[in-house]
Amino acid sequence: MIFALWLLPFAGALAIWAFGPQLKRLAGALGAATVLTSFAIALALAGQTFTGRGVKAPLVSWAQGFSFGLLLDPLSLLWVFVITGVGGLIHVYSIGYMSGDRAFARFFAYMNFFVFAMLTLVLSDNFVGLLVGWGLVGLASYFLIGFWFFKPSAVAAARKAFVINVVGDIGLMFGIFVLFAATHTTTYAGVFAKAGSLAPLTVTLACFGLFVACAAKSAQLPLHTWLPDAMEGPTPVSALIHAATMVTAGVYLIARCAPLWDVSPEARALVGTIGALTALTGAVLGCVQWDIKRILAYSTMSQIGYMIMGVGVGAYQAGILHFYTHAFFKATLFLGAGILIHALHDEQDVRKMGGLARRQPFAFWAMTVGTLAIIGFPGLSGFFSKDAVIYGTLEHGYPLLYAIGMVTAGITAYYMCRMLFVTFFGSYRGDVPSAQLGVAASTNPPVAHEAPSGHEGAHAPAWLMQVPVALLMIPSVIAGYVWFGSRDGPLAYGGPGSLWFGYFTTNFATRAEAVQAAVPEWLSTVLVLALVGIGAFVAYRRYAASAASANAVERLRAESLTAWRPLTRALYFDDAIELVFVRPASAIGAAFARVVDPQVLDGAVRDVAWLAGWLGREMRALQTGLVRGYALVVVLGVAGFLVYFAWFGTVR
Amino acid sequence: MSPMPVDVLNYVLLSAVMFFIGVGGVILRRNPLIVLMAIELMFNAANLALIAFSRVYENNAGHIFAFLVITVAAAEAAIGLAIVVVVFRRAKHVDVDDVAGLHG
Amino acid sequence: MARHDLENGAEGARGLILFWLLALLLIVTAVFTVTQKSPVYSVVGLLANFVVLATLFLTLDAEFVFVIQIVVYGGAVLVLFVFVIALLSSGVGPFAEGPNRMPRALVPAAFIVLVAFAALVYGLVRGPLATAAVHPSSAPLGAAGDAGVFGSIADFGAALFTTHLLPFEVTSLILMVAVVGVVMLAGDAPPERTHGSHSPQVRRKPREREPIVKAGR
Repeated sequence: MIFALWLLPFAGALAIWAFGPQLKRLAGALGAATVLTSFAIALALAGQTFTGRGVKAPLVSWAQGFSFGLLLDPLSLLWVFVITGVGGLIHVYSIGYMSGDRAFARFFAYMNFFVFAMLTLVLSDNFVGLLVGWGLVGLASYFLIGFWFFKPSAVAAARKAFVINVVGDIGLMFGIFVLFAATHTTTYAGVFAKAGSLAPLTVTLACFGLFVACAAKSAQLPLHTWLPDAMEGPTPVSALIHAATMVTAGVYLIARCAPLWDVSPEARALVGTIGALTALTGAVLGCVQWDIKRILAYSTMSQIGYMIMGVGVGAYQAGILHFYTHAFFKATLFLGAGILIHALHDEQDVRKMGGLARRQPFAFWAMTVGTLAIIGFPGLSGFFSKDAVIYGTLEHGYPLLYAIGMVTAGITAYYMCRMLFVTFFGSYRGDVPSAQLGVAASTNPPVAHEAPSGHEGAHAPAWLMQVPVALLMIPSVIAGYVWFGSRDGPLAYGGPGSLWFGYFTTNFATRAEAVQAAVPEWLSTVLVLALVGIGAFVAYRRYAASAASANAVERLRAESLTAWRPLTRALYFDDAIELVFVRPASAIGAAFARVVDPQVLDGAVRDVAWLAGWLGREMRALQTGLVRGYALVVVLGVAGFLVYFAWFGTVR
Repeated sequence: MSPMPVDVLNYVLLSAVMFFIGVGGVILRRNPLIVLMAIELMFNAANLALIAFSRVYENNAGHIFAFLVITVAAAEAAIGLAIVVVVFRRAKHVDVDDVAGLHG
Repeated sequence: MARHDLENGAEGARGLILFWLLALLLIVTAVFTVTQKSPVYSVVGLLANFVVLATLFLTLDAEFVFVIQIVVYGGAVLVLFVFVIALLSSGVGPFAEGPNRMPRALVPAAFIVLVAFAALVYGLVRGPLATAAVHPSSAPLGAAGDAGVFGSIADFGAALFTTHLLPFEVTSLILMVAVVGVVMLAGDAPPERTHGSHSPQVRRKPREREPIVKAGR
């Protein structure tokens, strides 16, 4: 069963890849069916998973300590639920969203391949399988970001994502090598059994390597720059890979390797700090974006920063809960944005939207629910999870991170409401010339869908895109209630005693040793809510109040032109990377091209050629053409052999 | 049958002497016919050793080998003489040293 | 039969005397063969060498090899040599040796040959052959044609057509290839060529190239 769960998406990918032209529109249905079947299998296996320590399925073992097998324990089951459940819904959505695209089948082959890769990542019971899945999801991400390969910006974004992910892969390998050198095994069970007895420096080194991988895959500072650019891919890709699943692989890795992080306080501090800074940076940068998908990308980065901060400081349950709720509401947000983009013929700039609440009521409600969930509106899923993360930092003794988390929550409310208000409130600005809105001329060809003439207007029915979003809205609202119900009573709230959610995180339930926080939790929640309220109110005043709506065009133009430059340049991270890595690398390459290649490499080749020529010129004298001379040389050889035989030979 | 009256080493040494007489002929003579005859001498020297060892070990595989050598030698003589004839046709006289078209 | 004489003589010095006599003759005829100026004399020396060698084969109980040594070498191969000598002697001075192009080869060649020979002899004498016991044969005296007697023609034939049948068949292939090769080489006289083997293209100097003429308008 677990093999079917794992391999069905792969089989779907192969089938779609091989028979795509024959399957035509059915390719999407096949892709969605395989992923949803995997989801059903995961549901069927859930009971089995909870009763024991997980479902184990050894596959191959080729040396002591080297084996590959599958492991479905509560932690990976949670990820499998999200990958196949949310992934299946996004597949269904994609049937509608991609219906006009010429490469319809190729899209689903890649999507299925991604699901398979991600399942490999989370189902592996050892670090080597994790590394394989880690690389494969990067590859699938590369394929899908560059899906519209006729757009130069998409190709560049795909390449950027791939290169930065390779940096992470190297970090992951480094961590695995350190662990293998110390424990002589690569299985989780084997490594974690010895985690307590390792030297602290070894563990810290390994954690550092693993965290480099997490930072690259989960868009943490300073390796986050690829994520906003990755929005060049189709919107369902952004929803599935760059919001719900792949970018949370870093959270999974840290949660999986909790026994290591438990040993190393330095690693915990590093991860928590980076997570908090990423959350803050992402939120701040989200405030100045105009592209709806880039706003969501920065918010994804910010929310993953929360998750990383949570699992980093030791509040594993909180971080994982935030992954869980985020997968739903962020997918809702992205898919809602996708409906808008689809309806507006690939317009992504919120300045050219406005007043869409009446035109697109379904998208409006979906985005509203998603926004309320992400900013932590009381009662919605994000409220519980974000609060748990923020308070978790305090519980584990990081007051500074706590403060950052609180401030970030307020900023999150501001920029998400800003997006919502600019997009849906006021009046429609699609007809206003770009220059009046301060929209810079696009450098991209405006083509996103390459619609073949025969399929013009042959769009799939709207319910194909609306039903998955509606289904995702439900958990966006209620997913957080799993936080209720603990050993202390049915209405007791959160904490290590949490029952239902504790199931998924059995590994950590006993280890999360909280310190007594200085601030009681209810006060903290009120503080967060106050900040959220302030952020939302500021956004309302700036973008939705009647005074702002009246002269929206002028206000947006002014804001576009006067935005603080460091923010619009994304705090110069790209420029720094350009300056520190790209330029020197280019310079080294140029130097090699100028000196080493012509002198050393070509020189060596030339010398070899000259040597061959010289040998030929000198040796031709030996080629006398005299048969007797040749015979003499043969006899010389015979004489040599005989002398050898006479001196050293033994005749038996 | 009686034991071989002469020690096998004598036969082998005789074979070696005859072989090197052939070698000297090949290296020093320039008449291709005599060179070919010297080669025949070398073949025969090898045959003598083969048959002597065959007698020592009472195993007639050596005889079979000698038989094969004689066959090969006959073929070689035929080819070699044909080459001599061809060279003679071209150059009107035959000298091993004149057939040096492959000199570098 | 000579065979019985040799076998009976093995008991005494007669066999030894016979060996040394044959050895002496063998070396003398071999040296004679390679030192003659005229190939006709060489052929005569070679014939004598073959016959002496055949006799030596007989002392080693190799009866069938003795026979084919006489028939194939003394008959076929030597006749071939004589034939070629006769064929080429119709020309003028075919065997006149030209200038020696390896004039300084004699001393190194002699040195190399002597070293090789000395090494071979040293290796043989030093090796176990010097003390190798010659296995006394337990087989009873038998007729020359009897199978199961070492060296008999029947014995040889049985081995040739059973154990060593494949090499024997390969032999026939070798002979056929040789026949084809000889026919290819000597059978078709190539067109008369001027002296030297270089084609005109190769002999032409670079300066003599064809003038390049521009195509007319």
